Amino acid sequence: MKGEDRAATTSERAVAGRNLSEPRKLDILARAEPDGLKSLAESLLDDLGAVDVLSSRTGLAMVPREDSVTGTLFHLGEVLIAEAHIRVAGGVEGYGAIVGRDLERAMAMAVIDAAIAADRAPETVFAFLAAEAERQAADDATRLAKVEATRVEMEAF
Amino acid sequence: MAYAATRGGEAAIGEAERLFREDLPSLTAERVAMVRRTLPYLVDRAMGEASLYEPDLAALAIAQAGGDLYEAVLLLRAYRTTQPRLWTAEAVRHSDIFTVRRISAAFKDIPGGQILGPTLDYSHRLLKVGVLSGETEAADPVTPRPVPAPPTQPALVDWQREHGLVADTRAESVPLDEIPDVTRDGLLFPAPRAHRLQTLARGDTGGMLALGYANMRGYGPTHPTVNDLRLGEAEVRLRHPRGTVFSAGRVRVSEAEMVSKAASGGTLELGFCATFGWNEVKTIAGATLDLSMHFESDYPAASEEFVLYHTEPTEASGFCIHFKMPHYVTFQSSLDALRGANTDRPAKGRAGDAAPDPAKAVEEIVS
Repeated sequence: MKGEDRAATTSERAVAGRNLSEPRKLDILARAEPDGLKSLAESLLDDLGAVDVLSSRTGLAMVPREDSVTGTLFHLGEVLIAEAHIRVAGGVEGYGAIVGRDLERAMAMAVIDAAIAADRAPETVFAFLAAEAERQAADDATRLAKVEATRVEMEAF
Repeated sequence: MAYAATRGGEAAIGEAERLFREDLPSLTAERVAMVRRTLPYLVDRAMGEASLYEPDLAALAIAQAGGDLYEAVLLLRAYRTTQPRLWTAEAVRHSDIFTVRRISAAFKDIPGGQILGPTLDYSHRLLKVGVLSGETEAADPVTPRPVPAPPTQPALVDWQREHGLVADTRAESVPLDEIPDVTRDGLLFPAPRAHRLQTLARGDTGGMLALGYANMRGYGPTHPTVNDLRLGEAEVRLRHPRGTVFSAGRVRVSEAEMVSKAASGGTLELGFCATFGWNEVKTIAGATLDLSMHFESDYPAASEEFVLYHTEPTEASGFCIHFKMPHYVTFQSSLDALRGANTDRPAKGRAGDAAPDPAKAVEEIVS
């Protein structure tokens, strides 16, 4: 019974994960827990066949910022990004870009993105996306619940 | 300026660096991780001044430089030149910031409320000396509220505009790839506002504090107060080859608006500063400088050229420490002039026209 419950949960999660928009899927993959992301990507490689690596590198992203006073756009500074761009069977491309230097994470993201784009992603990919979405939302909620504890009414001072 | 080449000192130079490093523990990944984990505000300061966000590299630079922050910033600026700029991210706006701290000292009831967030503002500044005797200081856990704070907060300045407190003047829209970039254009005056804000974003915290403080103390045209101060995280949103915009992750940012207590033309004047990392002193000082630079004034600390030229950490520290390099030729020239002046002086004295004039002697030396 417990096994059936777990299966149902995985299946439900997979449905939820499949229904996520493309930007959300990419957001979640870029922020996913690294070990789980890499393991998932490795599990997909056999089915994807030969992978052409178009790029695997680090580079800089300039971050424009809007001045809240006048609306002027200016460069806040550069962020180091790890990028991976691949092509798999059928000419389908996968792409990963993650803040930081971890090229393996970027490559894992690209592999999963390629599997989804090629329509060859098993249920585990979508269940992973849904589980990560839940974990990331829970992390934010936990953090913001602590932030809320610091709210003040300035009359009290 | 002229410099003497250093010759025959290779062995001494090598030993000098070894002597510097001998005082430090070995540079290991564990030590770098310790710096990153235990000194996040120092790491943030280095990233802000380097204008390069990568906490592991910033922690490495700090560890490698033994904590000499200017050296660390120089290492990061040098590393940055080895990396290609591959993207311009989507613009970050005030309302996009995942906010963990947001306060106003000018307005007590602000839209979204006041949230202290992580701060020592109201803490006793007592050194925990017991730690040196073996005690462990562990923070008590925060008691979370049942309902979390909203992830983003409205902009106070939008409310001020709606109520006619701030002039509704907005800059013209610029394509992201055409934003003026001080790292490529060079700094000319009067500087485009984009250059000014970028230069402040990568400015030296200490230098900005000194000049901002001068303004606050009266050596400037404004009487500043914090309008809106926030710490948070910004999404770095990139474009996928298929065209989808997504977040590649978050970076820590801080930003401040400063308001002048003296209204100008019926509306409040605001200054702005934002930077990578959580660094409130820098953004408060930077927004004060931006505010002061709005006004015509004779104060050097409110002059755009004076402020921006003297708060560039790598240029300023580099110029300062370059005076340690051999200057024997230029100094020898000064000595020759001094000796010449001294030789001439008795002859002039004998002529009986006038007593030796030290100021004139100096003029002769420097001419």
